[in-house]
Amino acid sequence: MTLLSARNIGVVRGHTTLLADVSVDFGASEAVAVIGPNGSGKSTLLKVLAGIEAPSSGEVRLNDHVPARLSGAARAKLIGYLPQQFQPHWDLSVSELVRLGAERTGPAAESEIERAIAEFELTPFRRRRWSTLSGGERARTLLATVLSIDPPLLLADEPAASLDIRHRIAVSRALARRGKVKLSIVVMHDLELAFQLFDRIVLMNEGRIVADGPTSEVVHDERLDDVFGVRFARVQRDGAACLQVASVKQDSRSVN
Amino acid sequence: MKPWLTLAVYLVAVLAIAACAGHDWATPSELLRAAAGDDSMRSRLLVEWRMPRVLAAALVGALLGIGGAVFQGVFRNPLAEPYLLGSAGGAGLGAAIALLVPFGVPQWLLLPLLAFAGAWGATATVVVVSRIAGAVDAAGLLLAGVAIAAILSAMRSFLMLALSDETVNLQVVLSWTLGGIQTPTWLGLGMLLAVAAGCLALTLALARGLDLLGLGETMATSFGLDVRHFIALAVLAGSVVVAAAVAYGGLVAFVGLASPHIARWLVGPLHRPLLPASALVGAIVVTLADALARSALPPAEIPLGLITAVAGGPFFIVLLAQRLRS
Repeated sequence: MTLLSARNIGVVRGHTTLLADVSVDFGASEAVAVIGPNGSGKSTLLKVLAGIEAPSSGEVRLNDHVPARLSGAARAKLIGYLPQQFQPHWDLSVSELVRLGAERTGPAAESEIERAIAEFELTPFRRRRWSTLSGGERARTLLATVLSIDPPLLLADEPAASLDIRHRIAVSRALARRGKVKLSIVVMHDLELAFQLFDRIVLMNEGRIVADGPTSEVVHDERLDDVFGVRFARVQRDGAACLQVASVKQDSRSVN
Repeated sequence: MKPWLTLAVYLVAVLAIAACAGHDWATPSELLRAAAGDDSMRSRLLVEWRMPRVLAAALVGALLGIGGAVFQGVFRNPLAEPYLLGSAGGAGLGAAIALLVPFGVPQWLLLPLLAFAGAWGATATVVVVSRIAGAVDAAGLLLAGVAIAAILSAMRSFLMLALSDETVNLQVVLSWTLGGIQTPTWLGLGMLLAVAAGCLALTLALARGLDLLGLGETMATSFGLDVRHFIALAVLAGSVVVAAAVAYGGLVAFVGLASPHIARWLVGPLHRPLLPASALVGAIVVTLADALARSALPPAEIPLGLITAVAGGPFFIVLLAQRLRS
C-alpha cells in the first residue's frame, strides 16, 4: 500500500535545477536509503517530501494529503524530520528538547516524554544541557526529540554522518529497524551501511533518480559505479552482496 | 520554585529601598505611615509622587525585560536587544515626532502610536537589511541595527533642531533621549500596569513558537511552525512592548540585553518561564537604577539611560567577547 508518493517533482532555485521530474512511491512500512554523490538532490528531495520546501512543479501526496498544504500541527503529526545538522541556539537540557518534540502536536503527558528518554537510553542525562553532551548523546537526544511522537513517516538526512563508527552504526540501525513497522527514508552517505541495513535503495544523480529497487538488485547495478565515479567490487558477506571500492575512475569527475 | 522566590524577595526589597531613596531619604516607618493613609504633607508627597514613580520604574523595567527576551528569541541572538537593534531608537523618533510636530491629535494617543510605528518600522528594516545582506549571524544583525539606530538618531536630532521653538519643550524630548521615568498619576500607573500585563500575556502566547525557533528554522518548520509568519508576528509583538517601554521611560540602554541573560541563568532558556523571569529582573534593575538616578547627586537627577549605559555597557562587552571566543 502506497503511503507517500511524489509525482514529477521539480525544484528550481534561481538558475539551478536541484530536482528534475522526480517520481517515486513509498509503502507504509519500508526502510529506504537514498544515496548519491554530493549535490545530487538528496537533501532537497527529503525536504520536499517533508513539506518543508515547496516544489517548483509536481506534487507530493501523503495518504490523501499534500504535506506542504497541511497545517503545521497536522504535518508535524504525520512526518518526523531529522535534519543533517542540528545545533539549538539555546542551551536546552535533554528533557526540555524531548518535551518540545513531544508537544509539537499538542500537550504531552510526562510519561510519554519519559518513555522517549528511556527508549534512547538518555535517562541518566535527562538534566544535562546540550553543550555538555557528546556527539553520540546528541544524536540520541535528537532521535528521542523527533521520535517522541512516533509519526507514520520518518525522513532523516544523514543524521549519523558526523558520528564515530560505533554510534553511526547504532543510529543507522535504529532508523532502518523502524522501517519494519513504519516508513523510514534515510539519506545515507555511508554506502556500506546503506546496503547492509536497508531494504530498498534509491540512487540519485544530478537531481534525478537513477536507480530504485531492492538492495539485492541495486547492489549489482553498474550505474552505481558511474554515478560515484568509482569502480566497486561486489563481495559476498553473510550471504549478501556488498560494495567495496576497487579503484577510482579517472574521468572528468576526478578532483584536481 | 526557588528562583521565583529569590526574584520576588529581591523585587520587594528593591521597591522598598527605592521608595525610601531620594534626595530627601524617607525612613521605613515614614513609608509605612504614608501607605497607611497619613495626611501630612510629607506622607502625601511620598504617596502621590515617589511611590508611583518607583512602581512606574519597575513596570518600565519589566517591559524592557520582556522586550529583550522576545527579540533575543526571535533573532536567536543573545546580543540582540531593543536599544542595539534600533527598535528603541525607532520608538524614540516616533515619540519625538509626536512631541514636536503639531498634528492636532491628542498627544496621549499620538505618542504611543508613533512610538509603536517607529519601533516596528526600525526592527522590520533591520530584519530585511540583514536578510538581504545574508547576514544572519550575531555580528551582521547587530551591525545592521547599529546603522539603522545611527540614522534614526540623526533624524531625531535634526527634528529637534528644526522644529523646536518656544512652544515646544525641547527638554521633554531630550529627557526621552537620555531615558528617564515620568512620574505618573495613580490612574496613569494603572494604565501602565495594564499595558505591561497585556504585553506579558501577548508574548507568553508566543513562548512555544520562540522555543521552536530556537531549534533552527528547518527544525521549527518540521515541528509545525510557520517560520516567516511567526517572525513577522513576534517582531510586531516585540515592537508593541518596546514602544510601551519607550513611551513611559524613554531610551534606556542595555536593560533589555542583560535581563534575559540573568533570567536564563535562573530559570533556563525555555521562554514560558524566561519571559516573566526576565520581566522581574528588568523591574529590579530599573527600580534600582532609577533610585540611584534620583538620589546620587541631590538635588539634580541623573538621566536613567546614562546609569544603565554605564552599568550595562561592560556587561555587553563581556558577552561579546565570550561569543567571539566561542
